[in-house]
Amino acid sequence: MTPKLLAQEWVARRERGSLPAIKLGVWIALRLNRRAARLFLYPICFFFLASSPAAVRGSRAYLARVLGRKPRLADIFSHFLTFASCLLDRVFLLNEQLGHFDIRVHGEEIVRAIEQRGGGCILMGAHFGSFEVARAVGRNQADLPISLLMYEENARKIRAALAAINPRLAAEVIGLGRLDSLIAVAERLRQGHFIGVLADRNINGRDMVSYPFLGAPAKFPQGPFRVAMLLQCPVVMMTGVYRGGNTYDVFFETLAEAPEARPKDGEAWLEGIMGRYVARLEQHCREAPLNWFNFYDFWA
Amino acid sequence: MRRRGVISCTRNPFQLDWTNLTAADSLMKASHTTQTPQEAELARLLVETLNLEVTAETIDPEMPLYDEGLGLDSIDMLEISLVVSQRFGVKLRADDEHNVRIFSSLRSLNAYIQSHREP
Repeated sequence: MTPKLLAQEWVARRERGSLPAIKLGVWIALRLNRRAARLFLYPICFFFLASSPAAVRGSRAYLARVLGRKPRLADIFSHFLTFASCLLDRVFLLNEQLGHFDIRVHGEEIVRAIEQRGGGCILMGAHFGSFEVARAVGRNQADLPISLLMYEENARKIRAALAAINPRLAAEVIGLGRLDSLIAVAERLRQGHFIGVLADRNINGRDMVSYPFLGAPAKFPQGPFRVAMLLQCPVVMMTGVYRGGNTYDVFFETLAEAPEARPKDGEAWLEGIMGRYVARLEQHCREAPLNWFNFYDFWA
Repeated sequence: MRRRGVISCTRNPFQLDWTNLTAADSLMKASHTTQTPQEAELARLLVETLNLEVTAETIDPEMPLYDEGLGLDSIDMLEISLVVSQRFGVKLRADDEHNVRIFSSLRSLNAYIQSHREP
């Protein structure tokens, strides 16, 4: 499949559910407690299992690779349930109800050191587990100024949904739809902000580079890493792994220190850091397989 | 290394025709499409910085830089802002409401730099 078609495919299916549906979901979740709201997830996941053959195919293809065996329907259901759980928890996390959760943080000293130095960093995430839990830890426990960089269409939806959950956070979303979006990122970095990016997808299919991932080549976007290189800032991988129940593990791992100057061989620098990112992501997938939330053929 | 042509069609296939039309259109206004020496210098800087596949002299000074036209994206815009600040001491800021106009062409970018550079 061409990158363009692939991009169109995920843009089209990415966020199932319109804004009113999201708002209704948020409203219900915040009026029930987490335990009651979680009961809704089972019928919802059954519904998606029955009505979304494309997502089922995507899940099956991924699970076959990561588990090394033919996935059962129960595996796919668990995969969906993990995704739905993280989505629901996002509402509580954004609403700053951290009391529901048992969150263990690993590598906090890495972000502490960057914060003390000032100058910010880029936090590379993926559609894996809960980026939100990691962000909530950064914001509420460590009091880090965190902004999220995302595609404009997502940014618009999320800003609108945030208005219903926690309006203060809407300013933390930077949309990529403007020609000066990344100039804004550069300015926030200079002010010591931490900039979160989900670096496993790309909307226009440009600058995609193949890396071996779970046994076959898959394409990853170079863009986020190129930005980090241009801005000469430290790059930290941030991953929130859902363990079931109310437990999350948050990992901060250094992908690159801030280069002293623009790397002379930029391509080699990019290859190095992307290789480390993909390897870490693969490791996380093997260790907590159901946290992978790209429900399309990632290897296409 | 990233190399690019003059025409990009990242959005839809019809854009190609449209871009060609615009290019043909502006060729007819030959008097406006000649680069001034300053514009030529800036064009060379951009081609070198962004590894563009076009030669600097062929860039129409009035062709849009972003998206259609020269086909640059927001990463390229970031690189331009960095190199412009380094070379001319001119800061391009994200909260400038005129950014769309400033980055609209080689000509307008050059005009902005010339009116803001340190003497």
